[in-house]
Amino acid sequence: MLFVSGAADKTVLIMKALHFLFLTTLASLPLQAQTTAPDGNANFRQWKDVSGRTVEATFRGVESGQVYLQTRNGFVHRIPLERLAPEDLKLAQTLKPEGLGIPKDPNVAQAAAVIDKGVLMGLTNAGQKPNALASDEQFVRRVYLDLAGRIPTREETVSFLNDTSSSKRANVIDTLIKDDGFSSRMYNYFSDMLRIADDAQKSKFFTYQEWLKKQIAENRPWNAVVRDLMVADGKLLENGATGYLLRDRGMRLDNLSLTLSTFLGANVSCAQCHDHPFADWTQKQFYEMAAFFGSSDTYNKKAGNYGLKGLREELSPREFGIARKLMYANQLSINDGLKNDQTLPDDYKYKDAKPGDLVTPKLITWTANDHRLRCYQDAQTAIKKGDDDSHLREVFADWMTSPENPRFAMTIANRMWKLMFGVGLKEPVTDLDDPNACSNPLLLQHLAKEMVRLKFDLRAFTRLICNTQTYQREAVTRELALGEPYYFPGPILRRMTAEQAWDSCVALAIGDKVDGFKAHRADSYSTAMNITTEVNIGIIKEKITEIGSLMREANGTLGKGKGKGNKKKNKAMQAASAASDEEGEFARPEMMQGLALARASELRQPERDGHFLRMFGQSDRQIADSNSEEGSVPQVLMLMNGEAQEVLSDPKSLVLATAMGQTKAEDKVDSLYLSFLSRKPTASEMTEAKQSLDAGLTSADLCWVLFNSREFVFVQ
Amino acid sequence: MNSPLRSLDSISRRRFAEQVARTTLGVTLLPHLLNGEAAAPVDNKQLAGFGKAKNVIWLQMIGGMSHIDTLDPKTGDSKGPGDPIQTKAGYQLGGYLPTLAKDHSDKLAIIRSMTSKTGVHASGQYLMRTGYEQRGTIKHPALGAWAQELLGKSSQNLPSSVCVNRGPEHGNGFFSAAYSPLPIHDPEAGLQYAQFSASADVMSQRLTLLNKLDSGFRAKFQDTNLKAYSDFYDDTLKLLSSEDLSAFKLTDEKAAEREVYGMNKFGQGCMLARRLIERGVRFVEVSYGSWDMHNDIDEGMEEHGTILDTALSALLSELKAKGLLESTLVVLCSEFGRGPKINSRNGRDHHPKVFSTLLAGGPVKGGTIYGSSDKDGMAVADKQTTIQDFHSTVGHAMGLDVNQVVMSPSNRPFTVGDKGSVIIDILA
Repeated sequence: MLFVSGAADKTVLIMKALHFLFLTTLASLPLQAQTTAPDGNANFRQWKDVSGRTVEATFRGVESGQVYLQTRNGFVHRIPLERLAPEDLKLAQTLKPEGLGIPKDPNVAQAAAVIDKGVLMGLTNAGQKPNALASDEQFVRRVYLDLAGRIPTREETVSFLNDTSSSKRANVIDTLIKDDGFSSRMYNYFSDMLRIADDAQKSKFFTYQEWLKKQIAENRPWNAVVRDLMVADGKLLENGATGYLLRDRGMRLDNLSLTLSTFLGANVSCAQCHDHPFADWTQKQFYEMAAFFGSSDTYNKKAGNYGLKGLREELSPREFGIARKLMYANQLSINDGLKNDQTLPDDYKYKDAKPGDLVTPKLITWTANDHRLRCYQDAQTAIKKGDDDSHLREVFADWMTSPENPRFAMTIANRMWKLMFGVGLKEPVTDLDDPNACSNPLLLQHLAKEMVRLKFDLRAFTRLICNTQTYQREAVTRELALGEPYYFPGPILRRMTAEQAWDSCVALAIGDKVDGFKAHRADSYSTAMNITTEVNIGIIKEKITEIGSLMREANGTLGKGKGKGNKKKNKAMQAASAASDEEGEFARPEMMQGLALARASELRQPERDGHFLRMFGQSDRQIADSNSEEGSVPQVLMLMNGEAQEVLSDPKSLVLATAMGQTKAEDKVDSLYLSFLSRKPTASEMTEAKQSLDAGLTSADLCWVLFNSREFVFVQ
Repeated sequence: MNSPLRSLDSISRRRFAEQVARTTLGVTLLPHLLNGEAAAPVDNKQLAGFGKAKNVIWLQMIGGMSHIDTLDPKTGDSKGPGDPIQTKAGYQLGGYLPTLAKDHSDKLAIIRSMTSKTGVHASGQYLMRTGYEQRGTIKHPALGAWAQELLGKSSQNLPSSVCVNRGPEHGNGFFSAAYSPLPIHDPEAGLQYAQFSASADVMSQRLTLLNKLDSGFRAKFQDTNLKAYSDFYDDTLKLLSSEDLSAFKLTDEKAAEREVYGMNKFGQGCMLARRLIERGVRFVEVSYGSWDMHNDIDEGMEEHGTILDTALSALLSELKAKGLLESTLVVLCSEFGRGPKINSRNGRDHHPKVFSTLLAGGPVKGGTIYGSSDKDGMAVADKQTTIQDFHSTVGHAMGLDVNQVVMSPSNRPFTVGDKGSVIIDILA
């Protein structure tokens, strides 16, 4: 019963049946059993109801007249208080709840307990113990950063800490998982993974960005999203999903190499040029996979030309430049032909085929039995059935995103695990060729099954992970050696990602208005650029005018940073922002110190060089999964002297305004600690801070200090 | 997925591969690898060129620079859009490098027999920067970090390594994060935020309070990255109080002189590199993208070949004029070359099988062509050179003993250039 698979409902039914047996047959066990439970809890006792039935369980708390008791196998009983035997009723009203408190949803509680049990087994085998549960202060900061992508505001922290309900952890998870913040966080993660950039192929990829945001906001299942990326066709201007393949326009092999490592953890990149030196992938296998894209053209040179070359005389150089942009934007499209044209490279050197041979599509397998899986058989049938090769991408997409695919679910499960714990069960996440080469293979397999059971619902999966005790434990404090296997006694200490740090700054400056501004650039761009009719000089000139005004708009909103006369512009923008606020709209983000105070997900993709986000490690979106969490001298200079600290020590910023609204020095310090670090200061910190304020430092200086603390940028 | 090799760790895998190589190909290994049982290794310090490059300017072209259109021009079917240019030194350069061909051919050593097995950008760039194949379990250091480990810091206040136009990744490897190169994302802007945000007095009070309030957190976590942050704060404060800070100010240069390099991120990066090595930074990488010319290579070379030609020529001229060329090694490299075949999209695709690198200055014998590719530029014809050999050569010129074994924190042995051979023929 260690790793439960199958539908949740079925599991619950089985558990209910067991529970019935349990209550009726095991009447008299010792009152207190002191062995450790799967989740590390030690306090189990026999609970008795008014009919004399008993259950051995740990006390999770009381809410709305119900007592919550969790058995060793993770199942949560919800029993009306009045059903408890009188002495147990008294106990339930006085006992402190164990561990996390009440898990709201018995299905989630059960599934989380199974994961905890898997982790504990790994730890025990390695002779290690789980960490203690994290304090409420640690938890609230961590869960906001992980789910909302930012630190909690002072009010959110205070309200969580003051909440006396035993289910508050489960409640905050349920609230945050549904919020815009989570969408933003997921978008940031995927845009690093997928190298999402505003500018690629001499065009703007706005439609791709907004398409992806929409999928995340609507919580479409991951397998459906990825399938769309693989099979999308038509113009980028009209179908954002084409952005994935068009990001690597005319580069089928590079794109495939990324597809396989990103979505399947298949480390085949070496096989693009030669047989893999250590794994079993051969160059031929790589080309056989490429053949699934062999009839799909992403290059499409001719379509965009429109005979523009003749227009050079009729247009000014600036206009001709725009005309070229129009051409580039309109030629970005995917079209499926009838014939697969994938051939082996000219320097192919193995004996099983000749250079330049046409390659027929064939799916890779990881074990000898894989081909018996239905997704392989379906693919076989589909390949044979087609009249031509135009459907090959779909065959590939169906196979890759199938719940039965040996790696698809596992790869995204491992990635999501890493997002929440700071390190994957298997590292690197792009190489799952050998899932046994990790610290806890059984757990990895189990997470893959859970991903399938939850139908690739990433919110449900993340919610499950957050409800585990493993996630809610203290971060590890000892030094981890490079390459040391990690058994997950808790999360690791992580530096905030660039986006978490930036979004936290914005939240400090403007509070819960942080999600107010949403970038909508795709529609106006597409409308301006898309040419749907026959092209003539009149249309081009018309388009050129439209594009001129669009460019002014696009450059105005997102801020240009300080220096070189931008101050004036910023004033104008602030005025514009105020004007739009009055209309109750967020057409433009709020500006301070030349920074547009909006979520990273709503700013340039990636931000300009030198912006806080880039200095703090945001990927340049050239290489997949390349956000960096390392420090540097320029980064420290920025934290010490850059615009972000100016924003935070500006009296207009919410964090400082709130602190300055307090009269007593203690209250100012309290307020700033809660805002920046989601906790109150210790007695000695209070003394130090107060002394410094007495000696002439201001609340603004204290903002600077807390912003520059390691405790601010590291997530424990 | 059941290959027996998979169960071995990478070292035993390598040893296994070496055994295979030795028995089947007659390849001999460097003596020190044979578990210390063989004779003492050659004393590298006695070999030509050792330590003559006090500084290195490392120009890394991102995306895979076509060797055929730059350093190894061909006629016939693989010829690119530009016509090869004959130089005074007797060899030819690609049609987009006229200034380099005219003014500097006597200074250059070109290796035309580079080869690698990595045709993917990210891992190719990693290999070119570190001399090691990318692995999931360890990060390898770049040459700047190696030099800091083996030779110490190159400047009291300035960092020993700087990288221009990129982030600090592929830097310190398994060495301390303090060896990580200082990244300058925009050479024009230089080192941003070098002005204190408050008066010196307030700043000092803030820092004192910061260290007090944050001490509990810093003591609680024994985390390498956390400690590195504290070191970066120390380094930053030291740098801010130093006069060397102006090394980063490109705006101190005359506008006309800056224009000679080209007013673009690569040109200005090259000029910044010159300023930095003058002030004591040992290793400066300037990277430059846009070489992934799968499509329309004529347009690509026209734009980027010209930028390269202008900047590199300006750099060599200025180093020479200032008497810095003798102590400064300039290298030009890319993660791989591009194929001889012009594809249907008028571009060239990735080609790691043979490509070229360029070295100049320091102990480099100018006017040298080392090794060659075949007629089409498809494969190595003579004197095959690996990226490890290239790294060993540069490391050797910097005064790093390529035989010296350094243990990583995980207790695995590593050397500069991963046991490549120093190419003595191009050094003097």
